[in-house]
Amino acid sequence: MSVITAAGPAAVDGALRAGRRRRTTRAALVIGGLAAVAAGLFVVTMMVGSFALTAVEVVGSLLGLRDDPSVDFIVLGLRLPTATAALAVGLALGASGTIFQQLLRNPLASPDFVGITSGAGLAAVSGIVFLQVGGIVISGFALGGALLAAVLMYALAWRGGVSGYRFILIGIGVLVFFDGLIGYVISRAQLTEARQAMHWLTGSIGQAGPDELRLLLGALVVMLPLAVLLQRQLRALELGDDAAAALGSRTELSRAGLLATAVVLVALAVAVAGPLLFVAFVAGPVADRLLGPATGGILAAALVGASLLLTADLAAVHLMPTPLPTGVVTGAVGAPYLLWLLATTNRRGAGG
Amino acid sequence: MTRLNARGLTLGYDDRAVVQGLDIDVLDGKVTAIVGANACGKSTLLRGLARLLAPREGAVHLDGTALAELRTLDIAKVLGLLPQTPVAPDGITVADLVSRGRYPHQGWFRRWTDDDQDAVARALEATGTADLIDRPIRELSGGQRQRVWVAMALAQDTDLLLLDEPTTYLDINHQVELLRLLRRLNADSARTIVVVMHDLNLACRYCDHLVAMADGAIVAEGAPTEVVTAELVEKVFGLSCVVVADPVAGTPMVVPA
Repeated sequence: MSVITAAGPAAVDGALRAGRRRRTTRAALVIGGLAAVAAGLFVVTMMVGSFALTAVEVVGSLLGLRDDPSVDFIVLGLRLPTATAALAVGLALGASGTIFQQLLRNPLASPDFVGITSGAGLAAVSGIVFLQVGGIVISGFALGGALLAAVLMYALAWRGGVSGYRFILIGIGVLVFFDGLIGYVISRAQLTEARQAMHWLTGSIGQAGPDELRLLLGALVVMLPLAVLLQRQLRALELGDDAAAALGSRTELSRAGLLATAVVLVALAVAVAGPLLFVAFVAGPVADRLLGPATGGILAAALVGASLLLTADLAAVHLMPTPLPTGVVTGAVGAPYLLWLLATTNRRGAGG
Repeated sequence: MTRLNARGLTLGYDDRAVVQGLDIDVLDGKVTAIVGANACGKSTLLRGLARLLAPREGAVHLDGTALAELRTLDIAKVLGLLPQTPVAPDGITVADLVSRGRYPHQGWFRRWTDDDQDAVARALEATGTADLIDRPIRELSGGQRQRVWVAMALAQDTDLLLLDEPTTYLDINHQVELLRLLRRLNADSARTIVVVMHDLNLACRYCDHLVAMADGAIVAEGAPTEVVTAELVEKVFGLSCVVVADPVAGTPMVVPA
């Protein structure tokens, strides 16, 4: 290896080390804080309801420290599955969204805006309307639809490699096409099926079944650490393909691996709770704001996603006069952010 | 045989061959400039030498082995490239960007080490960007930004460094500053440097060796004083000119006729 010049003065070294320490400390604080918030919301979700419980009762029951059959029934039997679903779906959407946005180098490029979620929606709605399926079969259709949409987009965008910009344009085209087809399918439906389809399309944590949830939890255990490991590849890829390749990154392989991870996570999340818009879209930018510029922490984004979704679910079920589907609340929070982003994107020079 | 060379190299995009059957030996420990008219294939050649473009035919060899047979991470420890238009992530600081040059030296699980730290500090020092480390890239001037990108490539700590048109978007003062920096990097550590550039006069002044390309082939190469003639400039750039001696350094200087 070559040596550049004599080592720089201690001042540079000290400043570099200090900067690195600052960033590490900040990341640890942010991730710790977010984990605490998500855990807190997770417990609160199980405290509130027609029969209020204390935090001590909930945690005691979760950890098996107390023996109170009626509390155990409420916590473990009734509320834990919903709370776990909100947590898991939020983690998956947050991680998936930030991977898409960083990979395609565009804050607008979350999976709900590039057609993946629409693919899931089209498949699920077609299943409900034409085949009268229900329960886990709908989730299976959604999963298949999301994966097919992703493969279709990758194939359409492929031209000796996949560029971010082309992928986004094709994604938006696919989104519009699928949404049109969803409208058509619903227009062919009977009233009850149309209602069921519309309800599914709004997205709701409450509709999660135990089997889909188990699948999502299993996927999270594997994919979330994998995503955090792949973060290193993202750090190289975001410098542009040529720079990344010059640094020794296998760009197409890295991109395919990252996309596959993100697609599986979002597909399973949609299969569990339907297309909850805006969570994947907002989580990454919020995490980046907390961590500092150009950090793009996948774990932090996942925790932001979980916190957002737990909050949205609490609001949808308990703050509204009548319980609403979760998707209504995430949409109401996410839409203004989208408008703000569209209004400011060009100023920040990230529009294309 | 030099450390980096190519034999019978054919490169292209889609079904168009841009470089055809080219041989080149990149001189060890020298600063080489690749010059030529727009679209003559000089950037394509550089991308081929840096394994960013796989050869249609022929091969590029690094230390006697074809690039295709080496692991890309191992290549990245010896051969660095600064592309024409690298992308700075939104809001990234100088220290963070330069640190990214350490990518090939880090593993999946390996943490930041003292070697990484030293390489980054040296790269910042060498490029005179040490006092900018906490500044966001987008706030810097074009000349500073280009020096930061060079620092990132230096942090990669490679014996060979290729740069694709690093001076194109700089004013004359910053072009000269950057070329002097490359000269210094070469003088300090005998690093082999290849730079694709447009300004023939600056190339003659600051580079040891000139490779002139036209239509995807090398038409002349050698020391600037030996190869730069009015005939060559006419042939390569289609410009009729007079070649005089640079009044300061005595190197060839092209003056349009």
